[in-house]
Amino acid sequence: MSDIILRVLLAALVFPGGLFVIVLGLGLKGLERRIVARLQRRIGPPLLQPFYDLAKLMRKDGFVPELAQPGVFLLAPLIGVASMSVAMAMLPIAGVYTPAPVFGDLIVLFYLISLPALALMLAGSASSSPFGAIGFSREMALMLAYEAPILLVIAAVALHVGRGTGAVASFDLAGIVDYQRVHGPFLLEWRLVPALLAYLAFMPANLGIPPFDIPEAETELAEGPLLEYSGASLGLFKLGAAIKTLVIAALGIVLFCPNGPTGALGLLLFVVKCIVVIAGLALFRVTMGRMRIDQAVLFYLKWPVLLGGLALAAVTLRI
Amino acid sequence: MSALAWLGLLVVLAGESLALLNRGDLRRMLFFSTASELGYVLMGWGVGSPIGESGAIMHLLYQLVMRALVFVAAARLIRRAGSSRVEALVGSYAAAPLTSLMLAFGMFSVMGLSPFKGSFSKFVILYAGIESSNWIVAVAGTIGSIIAAFYFLPTVAAVCFRRGEPIPARTVRFGIDGAVMLVLAAVTIVMSLDPEPFLVFAAHLAGVANASRFPEFEASWSLPILLPSAGAFAVFALGRISARLREVGAVTLAMSTLALVWATARPGDLGDLFALLFAGGGLAVVVYSTAAMRGTHAPGRYYFFLFQMIGALIGVATSHHLGNFYLFWELMTWASYILVVHDQTEDALKAGARYFLVCTSAAYVMHFGVLFLHARLGSFDMGVIAAGAPGISPGLLTLIAVTFMIAFVAKAGLFPLHFWVPEAERVAPTAISAPMSALLAAAGLMGAIKLLYILLGGTLLAGARSLPGLHLPEQALMVLGGITLLLGEIGAWRQTDVKRMLAYSTLAQIGEVALVLGVGSSLALSGALVHLVNHALMKSVLFFCVGAFALRTGARSLDDLRGLGKAMPLTALPIAVAILAILALPPFGGFVGKFLMIYACVQAGQIGAAVVMLIGGVIAAIYYARFLRILFFEPYAGPAVREAPIAMQAVSATLALLVTVNGFYPAPLLRLVGPVVAALGGQGRLVALALPPLAMHWSAGALIAAIGSVVVFFVGKRSAARSGAAAVLTMALALGGVLLEAGRYDLLAFAFALLIAGVAILNLAYSAGYMAREHAPNRYYFFFTMMVGGLLGLVAAKNLFDFFAFWELMSSWTLYLVTIHEESEEALREGTKYFLFNFVGASFLFLGVTVLAAQTHSFQFTNLAHTAALVPAAALYGSLALIFIGLLMKAAQLPVRIDYQMHPVPAPTPVSGYISAVLLKVGPWGVLKIFVTVGAAATFGRLTRDLPWAPDLMGTIGVIAAATLLYAGAKAMVETGIKRVLIYSTVSQLGYVLLGLSLGTPLGIAGGLMHAVNHMLLKNTLFLVAGSILSQAPVRTLDELGGLGRRMPVTFAIFFFAGLSVSGIPPFNGFSSKWMIYQACFQSGHYLLGLAAMLSSLFTLAAILKFAHGAFMGPASPVAMTMREPPGVMLVPMLTLVAVSAVISAFPGVLLVPVSHVQTALGLEAVQATWLGGVPGPSPWHPLGLALALGGSGLLAWSYRRLSSRRRTTGPIYSGGVIIPAGRVELPASSLYETPARLVRELLAGPDRAAADE
Repeated sequence: MSDIILRVLLAALVFPGGLFVIVLGLGLKGLERRIVARLQRRIGPPLLQPFYDLAKLMRKDGFVPELAQPGVFLLAPLIGVASMSVAMAMLPIAGVYTPAPVFGDLIVLFYLISLPALALMLAGSASSSPFGAIGFSREMALMLAYEAPILLVIAAVALHVGRGTGAVASFDLAGIVDYQRVHGPFLLEWRLVPALLAYLAFMPANLGIPPFDIPEAETELAEGPLLEYSGASLGLFKLGAAIKTLVIAALGIVLFCPNGPTGALGLLLFVVKCIVVIAGLALFRVTMGRMRIDQAVLFYLKWPVLLGGLALAAVTLRI
Repeated sequence: MSALAWLGLLVVLAGESLALLNRGDLRRMLFFSTASELGYVLMGWGVGSPIGESGAIMHLLYQLVMRALVFVAAARLIRRAGSSRVEALVGSYAAAPLTSLMLAFGMFSVMGLSPFKGSFSKFVILYAGIESSNWIVAVAGTIGSIIAAFYFLPTVAAVCFRRGEPIPARTVRFGIDGAVMLVLAAVTIVMSLDPEPFLVFAAHLAGVANASRFPEFEASWSLPILLPSAGAFAVFALGRISARLREVGAVTLAMSTLALVWATARPGDLGDLFALLFAGGGLAVVVYSTAAMRGTHAPGRYYFFLFQMIGALIGVATSHHLGNFYLFWELMTWASYILVVHDQTEDALKAGARYFLVCTSAAYVMHFGVLFLHARLGSFDMGVIAAGAPGISPGLLTLIAVTFMIAFVAKAGLFPLHFWVPEAERVAPTAISAPMSALLAAAGLMGAIKLLYILLGGTLLAGARSLPGLHLPEQALMVLGGITLLLGEIGAWRQTDVKRMLAYSTLAQIGEVALVLGVGSSLALSGALVHLVNHALMKSVLFFCVGAFALRTGARSLDDLRGLGKAMPLTALPIAVAILAILALPPFGGFVGKFLMIYACVQAGQIGAAVVMLIGGVIAAIYYARFLRILFFEPYAGPAVREAPIAMQAVSATLALLVTVNGFYPAPLLRLVGPVVAALGGQGRLVALALPPLAMHWSAGALIAAIGSVVVFFVGKRSAARSGAAAVLTMALALGGVLLEAGRYDLLAFAFALLIAGVAILNLAYSAGYMAREHAPNRYYFFFTMMVGGLLGLVAAKNLFDFFAFWELMSSWTLYLVTIHEESEEALREGTKYFLFNFVGASFLFLGVTVLAAQTHSFQFTNLAHTAALVPAAALYGSLALIFIGLLMKAAQLPVRIDYQMHPVPAPTPVSGYISAVLLKVGPWGVLKIFVTVGAAATFGRLTRDLPWAPDLMGTIGVIAAATLLYAGAKAMVETGIKRVLIYSTVSQLGYVLLGLSLGTPLGIAGGLMHAVNHMLLKNTLFLVAGSILSQAPVRTLDELGGLGRRMPVTFAIFFFAGLSVSGIPPFNGFSSKWMIYQACFQSGHYLLGLAAMLSSLFTLAAILKFAHGAFMGPASPVAMTMREPPGVMLVPMLTLVAVSAVISAFPGVLLVPVSHVQTALGLEAVQATWLGGVPGPSPWHPLGLALALGGSGLLAWSYRRLSSRRRTTGPIYSGGVIIPAGRVELPASSLYETPARLVRELLAGPDRAAADE
């Protein structure tokens, strides 16, 4: 019992969650900012800029609006960071890391991934700012829209693995990775191509990247839920967002292309894959404008749902 | 047949018809009427038999005397009025009572209405016709008699009863004609009392030597009949001395009659059973009348005829001689007619005349049949007839039966002769409406039973079956009964006059009994008899109480009765019992009868009959619920009123008590009825079927709660605190009772019982704070505790009867009355809607339970699995489908409109919480219980195999549950009503529970059960939080609130935890159970259902966040400014619930180990669970591990902030550089989630769009 707890804590606090994901997440964030800058023909900040930012925010005063609910207002940033750190600890890295058996399940992970959004919503609501409340409302609206396709994606993958392993559906993350190591990555499985596309569509909305940065919408809502935050709390939000990018990228990798060698080489390959994904997202960030919330909701309920449904149908009907 | 007889026949018909046409003029009417009598004489002669000739001679003699009396009296009246028009004679009685009375006496004698014997000679003629096979003579005679009634009765009514304009006083001297009149009257009396010598004389003239060839039309009267009939004269005489003496005499007489009937009653005799009912009912009416009729006009007449009626009723019941039977039948009609028109208003006379004419005409038809039987069998003795009946040809027997049935149908008020009932019962004095409805109608049905089972000795039942397509008279009874039932219920529903409503309800109840009689099994007979007795009790209470209200306030319409239950609580209490009993709700007598009747129908394969009864019951529920609501829950606006006189209260209370005893402890009544049914069944050659269990088995916990609730009601009359404490104590004792009787329950039931009592303790304790400023707390605690008692009884049920009885107890009146406690218009409307919906749901369950029991021949749960295997698949499927419909409707599942079936918003919030948390769980619990009891997967597998075309039952439940959890979840997301959000969310969560259970896999069932408990804790917490807000101000929507988080931080924290958990946020307990359900869905291949469940948890999250945002965040609204943290007595129950949830969150094994034991105990495969272990499943996980990881990471993040600058600043929110006062800029709950909310509203439009927009 105690060794499992130790293993879990180690995974969540040191590797691959905790310290590892913080360092890697912030590093990739710096990289992303650089890529974005280059694409915009700017030089961009140094790679370590996100670290500097966090250090700088440590020195700023904390601010709590007079009308806010202080408890929730201060709790929210912690939720985002904690949940993503744990989520990372649940994701296997092929050949490098396998989560403890009491830990790894795709459905638990799915709900864990929604916690940063919950944190953001609580922050917006608790801040008492109308901008924050609008951000909260938009976040929830968007979430209701993009969770439907991602559920279909998860179901399609789980059923596909389940079919292959004799169970009906397998949500065991390690099992999903193992299956792909034997049968090849799902990237190459034509039945799951629509699922991959749906997942790609899901990522920018979940991460608040254009054209789906609607809840925070700097230009109209002044970052909405984050508007009233400052100092370390704001830093935590920034940190949470950086880790989340990594987690979402990693989840995509687990679901569609976890294959890789063991040991340090495997870890390296994993990081490279993450960089590829993040570079792709950076391309999005610079080339897209922002959608209106109603457009975004309808978009997700149409195309990604259709893609996810296609994948599910293809998997279950064995066509 | 000779020409003479034909001529006579023509004269009779022509004469009677002309008399009828000329009924406006007394002189001409009498002329034609007299001429027609000559026709009878001619017919007698024309028949050509000695009996006919004797009859003709005798008729001539009788008519000479009696007509003379009529003529003399008529002449005197005409002379006085100066006109022979009947209209001119109206009110003659006031001026010339003796002559008027003599005219009436003469007319009744001439008509030959029993007990007047003027028609004795006519009977002889008709008998001669039948005997010599000249039926047409008898038919014509009968028709003639009927016509005669139609002109004589209005005349008598006009002269004696109608109150006209005062006639110019012209006195009539007594004179010689007066003396002649009296002499003639005396002769008439002599001829009536002893017609024998006259017959002998006539026979002698006709040359008949042996007088024994004539039928003996009458036998001697037995003592129980004589006593009231003769005693009536004594009471009348006493009344001349003093009114007080009359009342004492009347009560004494009624009591001695009852005692005598009791003493002479033989067990197992149908007639004696009814005689007891009639004598008992008579006593009740007499005692009631002492208060009701005090100071009214003509009490002497009233009591005289009341006793005549009682005597006649006893006579009808106990006669074994058809002649006597007929005599008392007519006497009963005649006496009751005079009682109906007692008030002598125009309405009364009109309605009374209709009643009299229908029943008398029908009786004449019966008389035809009586004579027929005698002509065939030579006797009026019922035993002889029963023995000889098989010898009569089926066709003739059917004809005879039809003639009898016409009389019984008319008296019982069955379609198509029902139309007299509502008016007659409305216009009669209330003291008489009661026996009209309770006793006389029963007499009609008793006649039918007598005919079918005794008189014709079951011959007809057996014989009619042999005629293809002609299942008379059972089919007739069923059809007529069914039509009457529906006509009555619909009619009652449309009434605004209370007495007419009750009268229509009588139609329905009598129709119901007739319908069941038509089923023709021993069970049906038992059911019919039990229900007739109970109906007599219930309906008497209803009429008596309405009479009591009318006495004090003159109330006649429903509107007049508004709130009278509050103004006269003691008087009104019995009527509440009677209403609940007549709706067939336990634990009252009506339920026992109804259950038996429905079961009898179903057992005999007459599902249609059962359905008709249930539909009727639903309509009855509509108008009786309205009645109850108007009486007790609407405000009283009138002047102060006194309680009704003690005699009235005593009678109603005694009868209501009897109804209750019949429900609680039906054994005595069944002991009375049982031998009767056995005897009748023996004669009718019915198979004796075992009665179903009809006594509710009270577990200790249920009994303590039920008794405790009554104690709480009385203890708490003055102090809210004391009633609250008593209720909590009661529930603690009930919990002790459950623990002491642990062996009685199966493990599932035991666990559920503990939760039921445990959560009830918390909610009752919470109520002590909530109800502190509310009205009538004792009533609230009474219903609440009684409802919990019903729940405890339900889970302890060991057979299908108990299952259904306690189901009704917890889900009908207790639930209804506690939900409308607020008494606001909305509460009444919504509560009534909910009550009706539950009633409909219970009706499905009712049918399903009885079908299942009838198919498996077993009520015991322990046998069901074994016996269900022997039942044909289709029948089993049908019964289970019906049961499941009932159970799902309780859980407010689709496809019926959810907003109709979900529990009402305006109920007191602790009750809402309890309903959501505990009570509605009986739906899923019942599904699991039935699933396991009938043999679990094996049985359901057989159904799927044998009925490949039918949708899989459990699978269908799963689909319904999944659709519901999505639908209700989406509705919760767009709602803004404080409680509506939570209620919709409850429905959604119930969908999860049902979905899990319906999968039938170990993981699914475990997940469903775990979620049931989790939701019990969490949703109850949320409701109690809402109650903490609502108890401080009457707010309705979230938009009115705001900023409560800083005013009540503890409450907010409680909400925050329970809300996130119920939304399925890991690592809380709500997520663990949902996770098992998701996994179970996928593992069993129902991945679409699983996806629906996963998606819906987001809806719940959206709803919870909206609630949090609207109520607790942002600037405080004006009303929120007045609120503060609730008192400790309310916080402690909430914190307890949260603490339990927290423990389960960390160690789901705490719940899962018992769940796995339950699964094993139910004979199912269990999930693997250990006390400290995690959540089982294909990839098991441990929420504690997750929590530790989250906590550790959170700590990491927290320490970053801790290490940062510790300075905190505060200030206003950013507002773009302008100063906006607090409260001016905020986003209300109703404007959240724009696009998805709009989509949901558009997609799910319809049900409650208006409510959603409010």
